[in-house]
Amino acid sequence: MTNALEAVGITKIFGAVRALTEGRLTVGKGEIHALMGANGCGKSTLCKIVAGAVAPTSGTVGMDGHDVRFRNPREAERAGVALFYQELSLIPQLSVADNIFLGRELKSGLFADRKAMNRRAAELIGLFDGVSGQGLTVDAIVGTLPPDQRQIVEILKVFAQDAKIMIMDEATAALDGRQSQRFFEILKAKKAEGVSTIMISHRLDEVFAVCDRITVMRNGATITELDTAATTRKAVVHDMVGEVRAAAPKSAGLSTDRPSLVVKAARNASLRDVSFETYPGEILGLAGLQGQGQSALLKSLFGSEPLTSGDIGFEGKSLAIRKPSDAVMNGFAYVSGDRGRDASFQGRSIFENIVAALAVRNRLRIIRPAALKPQVSKVAADLKTKFAGLDMPIGTLSGGNQQKIFIARWLATAPKLLLLDDPTKGIDLGAKADLFALMRSQADAGATILFYSSEDSEILDYADRVLVFNGGSISAELKGDAMTSVNMTRAAYGDAA
Amino acid sequence: MTMFNLLRRQPWVITVLVFLILVTVNTVLQPSFVEPSVMQSNLATFLPLILVAIGQTYVILAGDIDLSVGSIVALVNVVTVTVIAALGGTLGAVFGGMAAGFVTGIACGLINGFFISGLRFQPIVTTFATGIIFAGLAIWVLPQAGLPVPDAYWMTYTESVLGIPVVAWVLIAGVVFTLVVSRLPFLTRLTAVGGNRTGAFQTGLSLGGLRIGAYVISGAFASFAALCLTGETASGDPLLGASLALSSISAVVLGGTALAGGFGNATGSVVGALVLGMIGNVIFFAGLPFEYQTLVQGLIVLAALAGGVFVTRR
Repeated sequence: MTNALEAVGITKIFGAVRALTEGRLTVGKGEIHALMGANGCGKSTLCKIVAGAVAPTSGTVGMDGHDVRFRNPREAERAGVALFYQELSLIPQLSVADNIFLGRELKSGLFADRKAMNRRAAELIGLFDGVSGQGLTVDAIVGTLPPDQRQIVEILKVFAQDAKIMIMDEATAALDGRQSQRFFEILKAKKAEGVSTIMISHRLDEVFAVCDRITVMRNGATITELDTAATTRKAVVHDMVGEVRAAAPKSAGLSTDRPSLVVKAARNASLRDVSFETYPGEILGLAGLQGQGQSALLKSLFGSEPLTSGDIGFEGKSLAIRKPSDAVMNGFAYVSGDRGRDASFQGRSIFENIVAALAVRNRLRIIRPAALKPQVSKVAADLKTKFAGLDMPIGTLSGGNQQKIFIARWLATAPKLLLLDDPTKGIDLGAKADLFALMRSQADAGATILFYSSEDSEILDYADRVLVFNGGSISAELKGDAMTSVNMTRAAYGDAA
Repeated sequence: MTMFNLLRRQPWVITVLVFLILVTVNTVLQPSFVEPSVMQSNLATFLPLILVAIGQTYVILAGDIDLSVGSIVALVNVVTVTVIAALGGTLGAVFGGMAAGFVTGIACGLINGFFISGLRFQPIVTTFATGIIFAGLAIWVLPQAGLPVPDAYWMTYTESVLGIPVVAWVLIAGVVFTLVVSRLPFLTRLTAVGGNRTGAFQTGLSLGGLRIGAYVISGAFASFAALCLTGETASGDPLLGASLALSSISAVVLGGTALAGGFGNATGSVVGALVLGMIGNVIFFAGLPFEYQTLVQGLIVLAALAGGVFVTRR
C-alpha cells in the first residue's frame, strides 16, 4: 500500500544553522500520526517543508507514491495538504464564514455565493455542536469571539479544504476538554474517509489516546518511528531525550525560610492558575515546550501582559503590577531573547540604550551624560562588553554584546528580581558563559532570578530548581535528583513525574 | 440585534441620518432645493468628490491610503482636453481624449501600486510624492488653464437621458459598481489584507495583486471624476482638484470605513461625500460666511473619527 506521505532524507540549512539533518516522516493513508520532540528538534521545520512554506535543502517528499516539490503553500494546498495556523491566519474584522472560505470562496458565476458558503460553514460549525458554546454562528465577527471559538474557526478553515493530509500543530491549545474530545472524534471520522493527520501536541495523553503512530525527532533528525499500541510513554520520552542527563551540582546553602516572590493563582489569556514561591539567591528555571506560559509568566510579572486575576507578592508586600513601570519601581528587571522587539532602541547610542531603565527607576527628568557616564561605563565593563565607545550606535555590536548591554541596562538599577526570557537566543558561546556567570553572581548577591530557556540543558546546568509548564500551568516542580532531562521532557508533555 | 450592535457593524447608518437632516434643513433654508434643476446642479458639484471617494475606499480598506487622487484628477483633465484639441475637436476626438485620460488615471494607479506594494514603500509618503509628480506633469502638459472642450462634451454632461440627468446616471453607475464589487470575493480578500496582513498572507492571498488592484481602482475613479469635472468646467486646468485627496479621505471615514483598513464599504463613502457637500450648502444658505465651511468640515470629520472610535472600541 502506498503511503499518503513519505518524506525521506530531508535536510534544511538556514545560513549556518542546520535545522534538519535527517528528517524522515512516513504517514499512512487514513492515519493519525504524532510528531514529537523537544524544542528546536526540527518538527516545525519538517511540517513547513511538507506544507510548502519552506523549501528543503535536500531530500524528497512523496505523496501517494509520487514525488512532489512544492514551491509555495498554495501548491501544497492544491495537492491536498492543509496546515493549521495557531490563530495567526484569522481576520478579526471578517465573519466566521468569510474567514473559513477566505481565498477559496465558493462562487456562482463571478460573484461570491454567500448562501452556499453560509450553508457549508453552518455544516462545519455543526461538527462542534453542543461543545462550541454560544455565539459561534456563520455571521459572527471573528474578533468578537473568545479564544476557544477562534481556534475552532481556525480548525474549520482546515477542514473546509477537504485535504488529504492535515497538519495540526497544537490545534487543541485553546480548546477545553470537551472541545478537544470532539476534535479528536472528528479526526477519527476523517480517518475513515482516508484523510491523514499529522499532529503536534504538547500532551502525551492526547498522543496515546488518538494517534496510530509516532515519529520522534531529536536534534534535527528522525530518531524512531513507533506504533502507539506497541510502545510506552516512557520509551517515547527516552527517545525524545536521548542520553539521560542529570542536573549539574549546585552550591547548597540556599535559605528557604522566607520567600522573596510569591505568585498565587495567576491567570491571564496564557496562564491558568500558576502558583509558586521563590527565594532570595535562587535561580528558578522555567521549562517546557515553547509557548506553554513561561514567557507569559515573565511578561505578566513585568507588567507588559498583566494578570487578569491572582496575586503577586514580593518581599512580603502585595503588588499590583499593571504596566512595566510598576515592575521597574519595585526593582524588577526583564531581559528578553527577542532583542529587536523588546529591548533595542535601534540607531540610538549604547549610552542611551543602557541609561533607559535607570531613567525610569530613578525618575530622572533630565539626563546628564557627563554625570552618568562613569557609572554606565563601569556596568558595561563589568560584563566584559566589547565596544568602541558609549556614543556608538547599538547596531554596531554583535548579538551577544548587545544582549550584555541590555543586561547592563538593568544591572544599573540594582534589580532585586531578574526575569530572563530565553535570554541566550542568538548569542555566541562566550557571551552565554559570561551571562551564566553573571546570573550566578547576581543570585549570590541576593537577587531572585526567574530563568526561562528553550534549551533544557541550560536549565539543567544553571537552575537550582525548575518549574515545567504545560498548557499555561505548572505540570511539575523538579529539584535535586528528580531534575533530569527525562523528567523534564515527561513533564513538558503533561505527564507528571 | 441591538441598536448599538447595528451601529457598530453599520456605522454609516448615522451618516445617512445626518444626510437626511441636512437635506431637511437645506430644504427649509432654500425651498428651491427640491427642484430638479437645483438638484441636478448640486449633484454635478458633488459628483467628483463622490467618485474619488469610491475609489479611495478600496485603497483604505486594504490598509493603504492614496493622497495623489487630486493630482490624478488634474492630470487626467489636462491630458483629456489636450488630446481632444490635438485630434481636432471632432466627436471621435472627444472619445479619444476621454480614453487617453482614462488610461492616464489607470497608469497613475499602477505606478502608486508598484511603488507601495511592489517595492514596499510607505503609502502616505509615496502617494504624497507621486501626487506632486502627477501635479508637475499636469502643469507640464498644460501650463495654463484654458483649452475649451467642444460644446458637445459639456452639453451632453448637462443633458438628460431617458428623463434622468446624465450626472444622476453617473451616480447610479457608481453606486451599482460598489454594489457589484461588494459581491465579489475580491472585496472580502481586500478587507482581509487591511484587517490582518499576516493572516491574509498565510491564508495564501496574493497581497501584491490585491493592493495594486485597489490603487488602480482609485486611479480609475479619479479619471471618472476628472471627466465629470471637465464636463463641468468645459476646459482644462492643471490646478484642478487640489483639495480632493483629503476631502475624499474625510468622506470615506464619514461613510463608516476604518482608516486603519479592514472594515467598511464604498456605498457608505458615497453618503459620506454627499454629507460633506451638503454641509457646504447648508452653511451657505444659513447665511454663514463661506470661510466657516472648511472649519465646520474639519470639526465634523473629527466628530466622525471620535464617533468611530467610540463605536468600535469595546
